[in-house]
Amino acid sequence: MESYCSLVYVLLFLVPFLLLYRFVPGQGKRYVLLAGNLIFFWWISGIRVLYIVGTAVVIYLAGFGIGMLQEKRNAALSTAEKADRKTIMEASRKKQKGLMLVALVFVLGLLLVLKYTGFAVEILDAVLEKLVPGTFLTPPTILVPIGLSFYTLEAIAYLVDVYRETVKPETNFLRLFLFLSFFPKLMEGPISRYEPLARNLWDGGQMTREGAIRGSMRIFYGLFKKVMIADRLNPLLDQVFLHYMEYNNGVMNWIATLFYMIQLYCEFSGNLDVVIGSAEIMGITLTENFKQPFFSKSISEFWTRWHISLGTWFKDYIFYPMSLSKPLKNLTKSARKKLGNHYGPLVAGAIALFTVWFCNGLWHGAGWRYIFFGMYHFVLILCGNLIEYPARIVTDKLHINRQGKPYKAFQIIRTFILVVVGELFFRAHGLSAGIAMFKQLFTSISFDWITTGSIFTLGMDRMDFVIAAIAVLLILVVDILKERGVDVRGKIMETPAPVRIAICTAAVLVLVMFGAYGLNYQPVMPIYANF
Amino acid sequence: MEKLLEMLEDLAPGTDVATATDLVDGHHLDSLAILSLVADLEDEFDITIPAVEIIPANFNSAEALWAMITRRMEE
Repeated sequence: MESYCSLVYVLLFLVPFLLLYRFVPGQGKRYVLLAGNLIFFWWISGIRVLYIVGTAVVIYLAGFGIGMLQEKRNAALSTAEKADRKTIMEASRKKQKGLMLVALVFVLGLLLVLKYTGFAVEILDAVLEKLVPGTFLTPPTILVPIGLSFYTLEAIAYLVDVYRETVKPETNFLRLFLFLSFFPKLMEGPISRYEPLARNLWDGGQMTREGAIRGSMRIFYGLFKKVMIADRLNPLLDQVFLHYMEYNNGVMNWIATLFYMIQLYCEFSGNLDVVIGSAEIMGITLTENFKQPFFSKSISEFWTRWHISLGTWFKDYIFYPMSLSKPLKNLTKSARKKLGNHYGPLVAGAIALFTVWFCNGLWHGAGWRYIFFGMYHFVLILCGNLIEYPARIVTDKLHINRQGKPYKAFQIIRTFILVVVGELFFRAHGLSAGIAMFKQLFTSISFDWITTGSIFTLGMDRMDFVIAAIAVLLILVVDILKERGVDVRGKIMETPAPVRIAICTAAVLVLVMFGAYGLNYQPVMPIYANF
Repeated sequence: MEKLLEMLEDLAPGTDVATATDLVDGHHLDSLAILSLVADLEDEFDITIPAVEIIPANFNSAEALWAMITRRMEE
């Protein structure tokens, strides 16, 4: 099983699982789910299932220990004199922190070793090559369990929340394991918080007819995005990104970069549609990971609409704790005196923001291009904040209405172009390839490939272009409706039965007849599953 | 409350900050703006705002912000 958007997942795993989950009563559901999670993980990662078990054990023990320390502290506080309370609190906090750090070092260490050893060896090799020419280090082959970066972040969030006392420490290991290994979110998220999901999974979801229909529609929509668009664009993207030097065509690079942005959105959000739809059928609500990202008016807004659960994680567990730490707060205070109320806090904010985007880049992959991608967005967000005030003055002087539709349209288009350009570095085969392709965007402008029709020889014929364009248009319309607050699935469900059946039949036929299957297509692998 | 509204107006010009209930969810305040606001609030009201308080529910409206400020002042 390579992807949630596959018939193997939907027909061979999900459907039998849902039937069993539906008919097993009461508390039995949790054990069916537990077995489902383990079978699923074994299916995609084999023996590496032990990694998630190990992570869960360590996190459980640390959380349990922190809970015991908190109980002990509370007991001591209830009988302590007022003067001793602070000492008791501080001593307990120190022990809790120590325990949390030991567990964090373990889970983060595991992540770093499994995911970044190859990259570290590559860097070491490059340095050694400079110092001692002829030295050659071979990066070791390490099989990384799928979804490692996702469940590690969830485990960290749980433990930090226990330490912060916003989540009660778990006493039942199976409940924690059920949460960490919940199969629909295992490969690509969304990165979920412990409560209320853990409770829902343990208690068992309420499966209803409405949930089943809505969930199925969501799964179908995800498959549509993947098979009609993401897979269809794949051959052209492979060609252009692999042979950019031969083609040396800036216009093709623009087209390929735009197509990659569309592919990434359709592949990732399509998979998430299948994930959230699978959970919805079970009566489990997962957090949304996309909110019409291409209507963003700034880069920082874009990251509150794209891969939302990752952005929120970085904000809650890195950005705010760092910005509000004592040293950075002191920095903010002195910077405010010198730079004023607007720019002063930006100094500390920039340090925290840099850390977030460095980690964000690395989280996406072990490679310079990912670090560059993170830095690209860091610079754009920082610049956006720096020029916010001057831009406001300029627009006021020019009597431009910042709340008007033309200005908002300008902001949306500007943000879209900046995001698309960033994706070029993300997709390119290495940072140097990304830089070379970026240069070609502005230096090798030629429309030959379009005027001569050569563009149709790169794995997408004319019909593929037409089908992809219609499908993208449909997704755009759905996104516009969702942005306006329309519940599209709800509207379909409100239609009379014959209309509803006709829509569903037409949708299935379209997918079967026009999906990108067969020898000419190479389905795109789940892009985010490897992160 | 008046001082709080002034701060919000400065950070989110063009937004009806007194009645808005989606200051964070509606993207009127981004994370750096929230940082500015926290620094302002800590100075103005002599309070400490820890990271756990920085959740949309506390920052989505002037009313929610005022409730958090009052709570932090009492602690």
